Order: sequence, then C-alpha cells, then structure tokens
Amino acid sequence: MISFDNVSKYYPSKKGRQYVFKEVNIQIPVDNNIGVLGPNGVGKSTLIRMMGGTDIPNFGQIHSNKKISWPLGLQGGLQSSMSARENTRFVARIHGYRNTKEIEDKVAEFAGIGDYFNEPVKTYSSGMRSKVTFGLATAFDFNFDVLLIDELRAVGDANFKQKSTAILEERYKNKTIIMVSHSMTELKKFCQAGIVIKNQNVVFHHDIKDAIQDYEETYVTNQ
Amino acid sequence: MTKVSLSTGVTPKRTSWQIMCNTVHALLMRELKTRFGANRLGYFWALAEPVMAASVLAILFTFIGRSSLAGVPVALFIFSGMLPFQFFSKLLPQLSAAVQANKALLSYKQVAAIDPIITRVVIESATFIVVYIIILSAMAWLGLDVFPNDLLALIAASVLLLILGVGLGLLLCSAVTFWKDTGKVVQIVMRPMFFISGIFFTATMVPTQYWYLFSWNPIFHILELSRDAFFITYTTPIGDWRFVSEISLGTFCLGLMTFKLCRHRLIAR
Repeated sequence: MISFDNVSKYYPSKKGRQYVFKEVNIQIPVDNNIGVLGPNGVGKSTLIRMMGGTDIPNFGQIHSNKKISWPLGLQGGLQSSMSARENTRFVARIHGYRNTKEIEDKVAEFAGIGDYFNEPVKTYSSGMRSKVTFGLATAFDFNFDVLLIDELRAVGDANFKQKSTAILEERYKNKTIIMVSHSMTELKKFCQAGIVIKNQNVVFHHDIKDAIQDYEETYVTNQ
Repeated sequence: MTKVSLSTGVTPKRTSWQIMCNTVHALLMRELKTRFGANRLGYFWALAEPVMAASVLAILFTFIGRSSLAGVPVALFIFSGMLPFQFFSKLLPQLSAAVQANKALLSYKQVAAIDPIITRVVIESATFIVVYIIILSAMAWLGLDVFPNDLLALIAASVLLLILGVGLGLLLCSAVTFWKDTGKVVQIVMRPMFFISGIFFTATMVPTQYWYLFSWNPIFHILELSRDAFFITYTTPIGDWRFVSEISLGTFCLGLMTFKLCRHRLIAR
C-alpha cells in the first residue's frame, strides 16, 4: 500500500504556481502491477519520482511500508560525466556495499555494451542508457517490493526487451511493478491495475482495461 | 559492529547516520576522481597554486627591499594570509555548484541535497590542512621558525572561516537556483577581496583613520586574528573575536535556513 496524504505538488512558472497534483488523497494497493496513464506533461514522471522518494510533495505526505526502488527512467539516475561503471559503484556504495566488483560485473553483463561501460554516460545513446539503468536496478541481490519504471523499455532494442521481460516476469513475479508507458499492448501485457492522472488527481482502477478506457475517454479526442 | 551478510558485505538495516556516511563516502570517491584524478596533476596544483601566488608577492616585497613584515619573514607572513584566503575563495564556488554538479545522483533517495555540500566541505578542508602542513614543513626545513605561537587560537580562527564559508556557500547554492549567473558575481566580488582582506598587509601598516575601510570585512578580521595567534611579534589592533563569531554563526544559520526553504528548488530538475 502506498498512501497519499493530502499531497500537492506544483512547479513554479512564469505565470505562478503550476499545480500538477492538488490535494491527492488515495491509497494505492500494490499487490498487482500498475500501469500509469496520461498524456505528456500531465505528471506521470512526477508521480513516479515522488513515489520513489526522489521528489518531495510541496504539501502532504506519501508513505509506504514497502521497499520501493528509485525511478528507473531516462532522466536522472545516471550522472553523465561518470562512466556506467562509476555510476554502478556509486549506487552500490550508497546502498552500503563494500565490495562493488560483483555488482559491476553483473551490470556490465546485463547491459552488454562492451567497452562503452567504461566511457562517460554522456556518450551513450538512449538505448544504452536504458540498458544500464535497468541492469543497475536489477543487479542487487535484494529485490525491491515495488519497481518503478518510467518509459524505459520504449527505447531499447529487441534484445534488451527480451532480457528485461524475462527479469520482470521471473524475478519480479511476486513483486509489484509500477510502469509508465504509452504502449497499450505493453501495459496490458504486464499490468493488472491502472492509474489515470486527470484533473490534478490520481484515479485508481483495479482493472487495467477500465483504466485504458478512462484514459481514452478523457484524453484521446479522435475516436 | 553491524552484522554483515557474507556474500556481498551489505548491512541488513542501516541507521540514517550510516546511510549518510555511506552516501558521503560514495560522493567523496566520485568527487576525488573528477577533482584530482582527471589529470593526475590535480594534487600538484592544489599545492602549486598557493605557492606560486605567494612567491610572486614575496618576490615583489624582496625587490622593494623588505625582508620582514611586522617582524615576520616575508614568505611566512604571506602564506599565513594567502592560505586561508585561498581556502575561502575556493570553498565558495565549490559549494555553490555542489548540488548542481551532482543533480542526477539526487534521484536516489539515499542522497540528500546536503550530502554534496558536506562532501565538498570535507574535501576542501582536508586539502587546506594538508597544504598548510606541507608548506609549513617545507619552510621549517628551510630553517624558519614556523610553529604557531598559539595553535588553538589559529585553529579557532580557521574554524570560524570555515563556518563563514559554509554559510555563504549554502546561501549561494540556493541563490543559484534563482539566478544561475550568481557564480560570476561571486567571482567579480572576490577579486577586490584579495586586496582588501589583508593578505599582504596588516592593520598596523594602515593609518588609523582608514581602518573603517577594512573593519567591516570579516575575512580581514580572521586573517588579523590568525596572525595574532601565529606570530608572537604581532598583536592585532582590529581583530575582534566576537564580531567574527557573530557574523560567521549568523551567516551559517541563515545559510542552513535558506537551504532548507529552497529544498524543492534544489532537487527539481
């Protein structure tokens, strides 16, 4: 269960406060995989970032007794001046690992980007970034209860999609995945439940089909 | 000792303090690599920069025929002002860019916005102490009497300088989120500070009626107090512990408050 307690989030803009969420009160059950739906700029990433503890609400609180991952997305997470190996080392260290070699090898193997693993992340394509990001989060032998994925799989090649699908289906079978995606087939494949962001609020649907329908009725104009 | 699982060495459940220590350690490793490791000359420059700057001044003074200032050998006199000033003027830009330079790493919830600040304070302070000791040792080897007269007071003055620097650094770090050119203004302001902070002169060399030009400047006070502590032959007429403490602690508190208030801006992308 992830509880939102009167959560508001705004970003300052030239026209004043731009509210993304306004007084959200909801309890999101995390026993099923959840797809997050909404058009660009509605606050999907903000929601994921707040759940992962990367961003904090301006008002209210989010709490959960589950072990939630950091948000796995193309933005943030990897420092672009450091190589993938240095990023991996960093993440291992902040999680209290003293011997980082094992994890470095695991991530390098998953990413499969060869010598680029030792080059700065800023030289990577977005597909390579997504491989490293995903490999990094799944290399640790502690598993998260909830894995947050923000449009990460869309940019990967077939090989990466296959490998990551295997991990999601096997290792995260009894865990929860919360996933942002614009691909309805992907959402239907992985998720049972859905969240639609509308009117600066979070709407939870127990069935992903209802969520997709709600999303299409609210946002998709040319049906 | 906490229990460590055998396969990986990860501690099962860490306290907030342990998490912070791990994070600062990880940041330290990352920062050291970019600061000193990129070209291995990094360590050399940390030492060479103050030495060269001080040498230029020392040579100038020698040319005009001075072998001692305030009863102290020229080189020692200049180092005692140059080193703390350089420490301070390095600390400000380092701290004001600290959060920005580690922004992507803030997406891990273990990494708080204050952690990069703590890391850089540790690096700058350690560099300052090491460089100070190396230079003094070198001068002792050259036959100068370098042991500070009142070591405790010298340390106290340096700590006040550190507190002032961290306070200002925190303020600047918040200011950068409002106006990203803040760093340039700081650079412009720090340039004249070099001339009015008493690096190569003391209050006793300035006519009394002009003291008001310097007495507002906490850095000038700190350098005066450092020299008072360092040299038995020098007694400062201006240096005021109370004034410096008030300014330093006031700035530090203000800096912490602003940093806390700006936390949303600091972590926003």
